[in-house]
Amino acid sequence: MSGGSLENQGAHFERVKALKETRPYSPCRAACPVNTDVQAYVGFIAQGRYAEAFEVIRSVNPIASVCSMICHHPCEQACRRCSVDEPLAVRPLKRFALEKAADYRRNKRKLVQKTKNKSIGVIGSGPSGLTAVNDLADLGYQVTIYERHPVLGGMLASAIPPYRLPRETLQQDIDDVISKGVEVKTNCEIGKSITLKDIMAKHDAVLVAVGLSLSRSLPIPGVEGPGVLLAIPFLEDVAFDRKPALGNRVLVIGGGNVAMDVARSARRLGVRNVEMVCLESAEEMPAWKWEVDEAVEEGITIHHRWGPKAIKREGNTVKGLEVEKVLSVFDKDRRFSPTFDKNQTTLIEADTIIITIGQMSDMSFLKDSPVQVDERGRAVWDSKTHMSSAKGVFFSGEVVTGPGSAIAAAASGHRSAVAIHLYIQGEQIEGNLPSYDKEKISQLPEDVIAKINRAPRIKLHHLPPETRCSSFVAFESGYDEMEALEEAGRCRGCGGGAVVDKNKCMACLTCQRICPYGAPVVTSFSEIRPEFCQACGLCAPECPGQAISMVSYDVREFRDTLPSLVGAVDSKRNEPVIVAFLCSHHVGAPGFTLPDNVRKVPVHCTSRIDVNDLLKALECGADGVAVVRCSGDSCKYKGIGVRVNARVVHTKQLIGMLGMEPGRVEILTADSHNGNAYNTVCADFSGRIKQLGLIQRSNRL
Amino acid sequence: MKSGSNLEKVILSGQPAVTAELGPPMSADGHEVIKKANILKGFCDAANITDCQTAVVRISSIAAAVLAYREGLEPVMQMTCRDRNRIAIQADLLGAAALGLKNCLCLAGDHQKFSAAGKLKGHPGAKNVYDVDTCQLVGILKKMRDEGLQEGGDKLEVAPKFFVGASWTPMGDPIDFRPMNLLKKVNAGADFIQTQGIYDIELFRSQMEKIRNMGLHERTAILGGIIVPKSAMMLKYMDSSVAGVSVPKALIDRMNKAKAAAGDDKKKMRELQEEEGLKLTVELIHQVLETPGVKGVHIQAIEWETAIEGIVKAAGLYPRPTFPAE
Amino acid sequence: MIVGSQKSIDEIWNMVKDFKKVLVFGCNTCVAICHAGGDKEAETIATLLRMRAAQQGSGMVVTHSSVMRHCEPEYFDPVMDELKQYDLILSTACGVGVNFLSARSGNIPVYPGINTSFYGAVQKAGDFVELCGGCGDCVLHLTGGICPVVRCSKSLMNGPCGGTKNGKCEVSDKIDCAWYLIVERMKQLGTLEKLAEIQPVRNWSHSTHGGPRRIVIEHLQELEQQENKG
Repeated sequence: MSGGSLENQGAHFERVKALKETRPYSPCRAACPVNTDVQAYVGFIAQGRYAEAFEVIRSVNPIASVCSMICHHPCEQACRRCSVDEPLAVRPLKRFALEKAADYRRNKRKLVQKTKNKSIGVIGSGPSGLTAVNDLADLGYQVTIYERHPVLGGMLASAIPPYRLPRETLQQDIDDVISKGVEVKTNCEIGKSITLKDIMAKHDAVLVAVGLSLSRSLPIPGVEGPGVLLAIPFLEDVAFDRKPALGNRVLVIGGGNVAMDVARSARRLGVRNVEMVCLESAEEMPAWKWEVDEAVEEGITIHHRWGPKAIKREGNTVKGLEVEKVLSVFDKDRRFSPTFDKNQTTLIEADTIIITIGQMSDMSFLKDSPVQVDERGRAVWDSKTHMSSAKGVFFSGEVVTGPGSAIAAAASGHRSAVAIHLYIQGEQIEGNLPSYDKEKISQLPEDVIAKINRAPRIKLHHLPPETRCSSFVAFESGYDEMEALEEAGRCRGCGGGAVVDKNKCMACLTCQRICPYGAPVVTSFSEIRPEFCQACGLCAPECPGQAISMVSYDVREFRDTLPSLVGAVDSKRNEPVIVAFLCSHHVGAPGFTLPDNVRKVPVHCTSRIDVNDLLKALECGADGVAVVRCSGDSCKYKGIGVRVNARVVHTKQLIGMLGMEPGRVEILTADSHNGNAYNTVCADFSGRIKQLGLIQRSNRL
Repeated sequence: MKSGSNLEKVILSGQPAVTAELGPPMSADGHEVIKKANILKGFCDAANITDCQTAVVRISSIAAAVLAYREGLEPVMQMTCRDRNRIAIQADLLGAAALGLKNCLCLAGDHQKFSAAGKLKGHPGAKNVYDVDTCQLVGILKKMRDEGLQEGGDKLEVAPKFFVGASWTPMGDPIDFRPMNLLKKVNAGADFIQTQGIYDIELFRSQMEKIRNMGLHERTAILGGIIVPKSAMMLKYMDSSVAGVSVPKALIDRMNKAKAAAGDDKKKMRELQEEEGLKLTVELIHQVLETPGVKGVHIQAIEWETAIEGIVKAAGLYPRPTFPAE
Repeated sequence: MIVGSQKSIDEIWNMVKDFKKVLVFGCNTCVAICHAGGDKEAETIATLLRMRAAQQGSGMVVTHSSVMRHCEPEYFDPVMDELKQYDLILSTACGVGVNFLSARSGNIPVYPGINTSFYGAVQKAGDFVELCGGCGDCVLHLTGGICPVVRCSKSLMNGPCGGTKNGKCEVSDKIDCAWYLIVERMKQLGTLEKLAEIQPVRNWSHSTHGGPRRIVIEHLQELEQQENKG
């Protein structure tokens, strides 16, 4: 049954957005710890709609700018293009969109009304704390942040070096949150400036999001004394411009991401000879591969499969690290349990050693508080409610989850905010926290892979290693607009494709016949299988029941806006009103210019344009309507040209029945690599329409 | 004797039967019929009075047949399935019999949608009937005549005595089914058969062999159709456009030769081709009559009724048999 | 299924031009499958009508919508109140839908937007052929599955006639001679001999010639009452 009322075209769009939530996620979205709708925002970027891309990103991620620089992008690793050529460069695209939307973003910041008469104290302003603050402020709570450092951001400000995360970038995220009306207390260390009891007394709930602020050390001979530094204090010195004491040969013990930061920061402090030693082989190293590659480019040597035995000193001066050969790192159950060959040892020379073997939480401030810690000094909490052993005191982030990524900490922050909100409202928490574990679309089938054009990933721009090691300036520069559009165009739209309204489908088999990728399977109604669908949109205009919508890229959005796009047509105009539907893959971007009288409608693919869209443009007052496509083989989908042609021919027949010249609707093609070519073909078309005459309408819509 | 018609008597006598054709005019004036009847009288045993041939409205076959009958020409009325349902058919048959008509040819009838196309407007939008087909129509006549019953079972006070004929296209598509097609018409009760025009004697004879093997030639009187050609163009047209008619190239060549002999003289061209056409007709008549199993010929001289006399005489089929009045 | 095709926009305009508020009402079953009157085509007709109205300076308001079928009241009853806001409903359903809806639309006339043509199949996309005569007395077992009622231009039961040429019907060389097809099919099935039997005169009263038809299945009669009770 088609529901109680006649279909409202605008309502359609709202309906498909909700629909996306009930279907398997694209693998990129499923892999993201906060389920960012990657496909949606990459799709917006491809159409030049940067503000909308920003909205998609920011709606789930309060540390968006941070992630745009340092996220380990599990979305990219999950990208289905991996089985074709290379994954989408999602993180650089996110960076591009956020930078483009900077003004829009700034203008959106405003105070949020405090509607609840309750306040929450959040200890720690790292990714999880900041996220919780964001969410609670949005819910109308008064929030106070207690941060021990002079600046907000937690590890993001105090440990991640600025060549990876520039200060200004982090500040964008912080400003977004603070502008909502949050009380900030910096230089305020829990346990020193203020006690937990005080905080608990002042607020209706407290969130402890202090992270892992202590560095582990090694209980080996020689560790005491000058020349041996720990990771976090070293990085904090770097962050706050305090010159740490380094010699000429720095050796970093550790193989994780923090160790990379330490080593590369040391390089940038002028140390030419920076080396690393770790238990793991290159393949086993926990650090992200690209960080290792970049470090190696910067001249850092890594000694694999050696375990620290003792620090050799001559007097007080560090001479080097004695190491023994590692036989294995993990036991048969994949647990960390290194074994050594004590007979194989060597000395790695160094005058400064930085130990970067892991972090732990500083729970000293919980002494004599109702919040319990276990016998190993770890906080006691219920992961299903985020609550500690003390009522109203919650935990979030690495302090309880252990080391993880910034975005995973943000996910924890989201859950904590919901937990606190439910607690304050007196509702049940357990079972009501958001879950980010979602079903994902399965692998690309072989025969679909064969039909996807190969296109290499647009390379990122790094400063040459020597240049970048001379300072802490960001070593990666972002895509320019052409690059971003091209890279975004590589997205295959997983999950954004066609979906059938069962109430309208009568199993006519049209979609099954037309799909180049074999996505629809028709039984009593059509089901379009998301793992096959490439979101080209060819099926939707053919459906005689208009039962197919595109979850993303739906043309119904712009069909509704055609009247305002065309606007009021001046009956005394000199130039014809032209509506041009442009394929956004190469064309529909602000970078392209078109003649002034051409109203531009970028569409994901011209395959999605229906006869009804072309008629609507004419109905709204256009003198001529053009479908603008790329010439040649650059189309990213199969079989589009023939169908678009057939639809334009049909439209010509229909308008002929009204006595309109068939030449008012045309397909225009141009070479997609020549920026001016589109301007030229549109101008030529406009000239031909002018010759046909401007349509005088007696009755305006 | 089933009907006592002249045609039936000739056939029963064993002599070759000759039928001709008379096309009624598009007119409320019957003089044309009377004129044509007098032209054909005496040169054929009976003449078909066509029934809105090519779905074009003309004086109805029954009415024209009565006019011809009163002039002394025995008619073969034609009854198509296209325009009348079984009720009208049977009513018309009773009326025809009451007016003295004795021969009836059953045919499906040219479909109205295409038939007049090109030359006349016709009535392509008419609702056709086809309540019954040829076979079933033959059956209806037989039931009326031999059982005195209407198709629906009601009794007839007096049964109409008709000599029942059916059309047959021996060389039509699918050619291997045409013998079975004839079998059905004979089984339904067809007393005589008039075929579509024959030009390809070899092909006709091979079909007739199959007919003889089925014994059909003894159960019904097959009259071979002869269409009198007027020109090479007419032969070519029939070969390409008329279903069931195939013209061997040799015949077309003969006509072309005759045409060529006239040079540029248009009048002579016409005359020479007509002359050749008449010659051809006589040859075909002999060839058809010599085919075992054939009991006569049905000569169609379309809008050329005056040629019948010459053809029949030249073919040695004149005078036609006569029988003492009963 | 039922196959139809759109009326020309000129014809439709002449039907509707004197009305002020028109709803083009699509049907998403048979006529959608043959791309004649589904929601999409309804929208196209509505757009063309609005454009024609604008050309003529007419103030006609035209909208479109659709439901799954016009031949079962449960599908359009929920929207009947909204339908009655219009002064004309142009139904792009088949004639069945126009009839059925018209009986239930009160004072609002229902006009046909398409011409309903035949019972047909989809040979391939966009290619529909008439295959069934709806005669109510099916004898396809006698003719190798090829309907002599509607695929033979003369509805012969003992065909072929003399008009077959190269396997095509005398009406048009684009139409296959059904009896040619029947003979070939019966040959393929090894049952050609069956065609020697004369098919007797048909009883046409099972078809429309017997008057408008109705079929009632006794054991389903109480179904709707049960639904209301249950």
